[in-house]
Amino acid sequence: MTSVRSGRNRFLAGAILPALALYAVFVLSPYAQAFYLALTDWTGVSGEVGFVGLDNFRRLADDPLFRAALRNNGLMLLVVPAVTIVLGLLLAALVSFGGRGGAAGPSAVRGGELYKVAYFLPQVLSLPIVAVLWQFVYGPTDGLLNGVLRAVGLDGLARSWLGDPAVALWAVMAVLVWSSVGFYMLLFGAAMESIPREVLEAAVLDGAGRLAVLRRVVVPLLWDNVQVAFVYLGVLALDGFAVVQIMTVGPGGPDGATEVMGLGLYRNAFTYGRFGYAAAMGVALFFLTLAVAVVALRAGRRERVEYA
Amino acid sequence: MTTIIERPVDAPPAPPTRRRRRSGTWGPHVFLVAWAAIVTVPLLWAVTNSLKTDREILTSPWTLPEQPRFDNWSRAWDQASIGRYVGNSAIVVGAALLLTMVLGSTVAYALARYPFRGNRIVYYTFVSGLLFPVFLALVPLFFVVEQLGLLGTYPGLVLVYTAYALPFTVFFLHAFFRSLPTVLAEAAFLDGCSHWGVLVRVMLPLARPGLISIAIFNFLGLWNQYLLPLVLNPDPDRYVLAQGLAALSVSQGYRSDWSGLFAGLTIAMLPVLAAYVLFQRQIRTGLTAGAIR
Amino acid sequence: MNPSSPDRRYPATRRALLRATAAAAAVPLAGCVTAGGGDDGAPAAEGVKSADNPLGVPDATPLEVVIFKGGYGDDYAVHAEKLYQERHPGATVDHKGIQKVGEALQPRFVADTPPDVVDNTGAGRLDLATLVAAGKLTDLSELLDAPALDGGGTKVRDTLLPGVVDEGAFDGAPRALNFTYTVWGLWYSRPLFARNGWTFPTTWDAMLTLCAEIKKSGTAPWTYQGKYPEYINDPLLAMAAKAGGIDLVKAVDNLEPNAWKQPALLDAATAIAELAGRGYLLPGSEALSHTESQAAWCQGRAAIIPCGSWLEAEQKGVAPDGFDMVMAPVPSLGAGDRMPVSGLQAAGSESFIVPARAKNPRGGLEFLRVLFSKPAARRFAELNSTLPTVTGATDGLTLSSGLGSVKAAVDAAAAHTFAYRFRTWYAPLAKAVDDATGELATRRVTPAQWADRIQKAADGVAADSAVTKYER
Repeated sequence: MTSVRSGRNRFLAGAILPALALYAVFVLSPYAQAFYLALTDWTGVSGEVGFVGLDNFRRLADDPLFRAALRNNGLMLLVVPAVTIVLGLLLAALVSFGGRGGAAGPSAVRGGELYKVAYFLPQVLSLPIVAVLWQFVYGPTDGLLNGVLRAVGLDGLARSWLGDPAVALWAVMAVLVWSSVGFYMLLFGAAMESIPREVLEAAVLDGAGRLAVLRRVVVPLLWDNVQVAFVYLGVLALDGFAVVQIMTVGPGGPDGATEVMGLGLYRNAFTYGRFGYAAAMGVALFFLTLAVAVVALRAGRRERVEYA
Repeated sequence: MTTIIERPVDAPPAPPTRRRRRSGTWGPHVFLVAWAAIVTVPLLWAVTNSLKTDREILTSPWTLPEQPRFDNWSRAWDQASIGRYVGNSAIVVGAALLLTMVLGSTVAYALARYPFRGNRIVYYTFVSGLLFPVFLALVPLFFVVEQLGLLGTYPGLVLVYTAYALPFTVFFLHAFFRSLPTVLAEAAFLDGCSHWGVLVRVMLPLARPGLISIAIFNFLGLWNQYLLPLVLNPDPDRYVLAQGLAALSVSQGYRSDWSGLFAGLTIAMLPVLAAYVLFQRQIRTGLTAGAIR
Repeated sequence: MNPSSPDRRYPATRRALLRATAAAAAVPLAGCVTAGGGDDGAPAAEGVKSADNPLGVPDATPLEVVIFKGGYGDDYAVHAEKLYQERHPGATVDHKGIQKVGEALQPRFVADTPPDVVDNTGAGRLDLATLVAAGKLTDLSELLDAPALDGGGTKVRDTLLPGVVDEGAFDGAPRALNFTYTVWGLWYSRPLFARNGWTFPTTWDAMLTLCAEIKKSGTAPWTYQGKYPEYINDPLLAMAAKAGGIDLVKAVDNLEPNAWKQPALLDAATAIAELAGRGYLLPGSEALSHTESQAAWCQGRAAIIPCGSWLEAEQKGVAPDGFDMVMAPVPSLGAGDRMPVSGLQAAGSESFIVPARAKNPRGGLEFLRVLFSKPAARRFAELNSTLPTVTGATDGLTLSSGLGSVKAAVDAAAAHTFAYRFRTWYAPLAKAVDDATGELATRRVTPAQWADRIQKAADGVAADSAVTKYER
């Protein structure tokens, strides 16, 4: 018995410890150190570290660019998840139930598989590549978007998308939505297709319209997925670094219009050499992310609808 | 696990009302086609531009190239080092993927099937990594890697990639191993199999679908990494693809080589897009699995 | 989690995520803490000094050179490396031509494993002031006092153009040496102007008249590199400096109270705002990158573009044959200008440094001695149509249209050159100025608001005890 036991323990140690060590060194320890660095004035190039207490956080509160970043990430947080989820739900519903409806209830649309393939395309591209692509789409003179607008006679709508502070952030958000919708559409679609048909048939028999069925029957059944989608899209909206850094004027401009926290952190750390200050930004970002996750998961809590 | 099941496309045609037939048949397609265009047109535009001359891009942006210029591609591949970046990505991602799968599956299995004191703590320690913004770790991580002498090296990137891929891998496979039947494993133990033997000969083969899903998933995630290599991999000779392309958009810009830039962009996109179209069913299943149970 | 695209990972049920959230919150509390950055390093190798080897380069020691590969490419450096190897046959040279110098080298400076010599240039360069403050750079005095290569006994210091040594000095010690002499001005195509009977103006009033005329011909008078607003700063700050004199420049650099509200600066800001207000800027310029706007200018979509003297080299292969670009100094704002209209904003760039902790710093210094020799500098001028900071490097060369105009402008300016230093000293202030000027050029702020917000940023830097201050 003892030998079995020690064999079991040896196995557990061998299975868990290597991964745990790797994880502790490269993931846990940096996270922990960040909290310490945030309290220092480290410039990154010297070995001297001065402890400055909460000074970095006081500075953050007065830093106009950081405040702009907070504002922008905040707006992204409101817009990107909501738009992505609504579009995702809508497209998923259209593909799953947009077909010729009948007494048997709504059915999948013709060619649904093709749509699924197409919508998912942006998802497999990395955000830097997406950003490089959209930089050209948004080009003021030779860009695709203005070209299309002019070609269809909407010259008045053509503008310098990334050069106008009133629209630049929206242009960034559009890219994030563009690249994410496909995934959430698939996710919601898979969930919708696992809804028992009797539930939908019953709703249709009750005479509910399509939109009403979607809103009152389907979405509540998918609520768990929607919440989790909110968390992940929230994290995405608090980031935005790759797209902003590659695509925007400045970057982060014009005049801070597309500044995001990640960019400020990166600039302060790797351009200005203010590593302590940058770490403080990371800490602030962490608490915001945590808050978003808690709010999305707790506040939006509903009784889960069980159909199984 | 859920697979995407196709509904029968044609339900027996019942007499629909006139209004419903309209909206039911055409309405959705208008919307669906519009979004399909929004998604695909920018991609097609980039591919078309990659086959044009600089002059054609600037002067006739809306036409197809007079003749496709594949030399743009070869220029991007050789001179702009896209070929090298693809190779670097392949090396780093391949090694990291292998390591992630080995470490992730053993940890997940041990945590899922062996109750022991501290099991939950270890599990949640791993899973908590899912919720940390990487930006928080960025500055110290950089110095950790540097102090280990791994900055700008393949092993450094591989280890970091693996460490950051572990939380989700453990999370996913943990759930998967728990859902597997225990009978076979017990039988194997009675036959005298060791713990490792059971894992390798019984459990891993059983977990194959889950392993494939998570492997595809990790591949996409690692292949598309940008922030970690941007900070940890400063040597241009070792740039990975996403990093190289971002640098290319600056350096080709210096030479105003638009067609070369679009060619680089296309080369960066096409293999992943092609792989996706080939394996789309598995990829989508893998990505959405775990979300729905 | 995949940081650049967190949405790509999709695990969870709500309950599991909740628990993970709680666990995530607990980790930092239990975390350990380390301080970073050791300061130990092996002493660098040193060879025997001799007349032939005045800097004491060790034998057969490899040399690592990192060059910013921007508009000038890096062929000139490769050439200098060959010359270096001829002098030190046992040495292997590891050459790297890169774009984002900061990203590539920051880690190596921290780790105290930097290369032996670095061309710290380009948008992503390292902050010099930070490096100097941290003691990461070799004092270049020894190089400057060494005999120039093929110089007949002249010291390196005495072969350089005026101002070059001072520019790289921090508190009196030279830490960086600029290899190219850059001047800023306004560029146009000489044949285009000749064809239309336009003459390049010397006063701002004349500029506005000319712009009206250009606009009537269907061409946009100006474009600029809006994605990087620092480009449009240059004509603004240059006009202000010529109007207000070197005292204005010093007041700005020394962060004096209300320095940015000096009348000359406001006038210059008003001038730029006028360009925008009268519709003399190519629409969309505010979102064009340097390459896009410069390409538009070369295609004749705009007549004038502000830029430094690297423009001709950068547009090689883009400018059509016979485009014959030339550079002119910015016009004077009015009769009260303290400097003649030939005055030029001039500064060295391609800033070379020798890291203090390099493995072969002597080799690094020697590489600079080779690079700053007449033959190597001349080679650079030939390759890049750009003036090096080495005196007489272009003597006897046939100069291209652009370089010829630059050389003529430099000769005409004589001692009337100036440069702002705040950009190197206080990078965050430079960002504030760029952002404000970007807004000015799109008329989203007035000149007075422009001055206000920059002054506020400058006051903030002046009041910040954490920022090392410099004086001139």
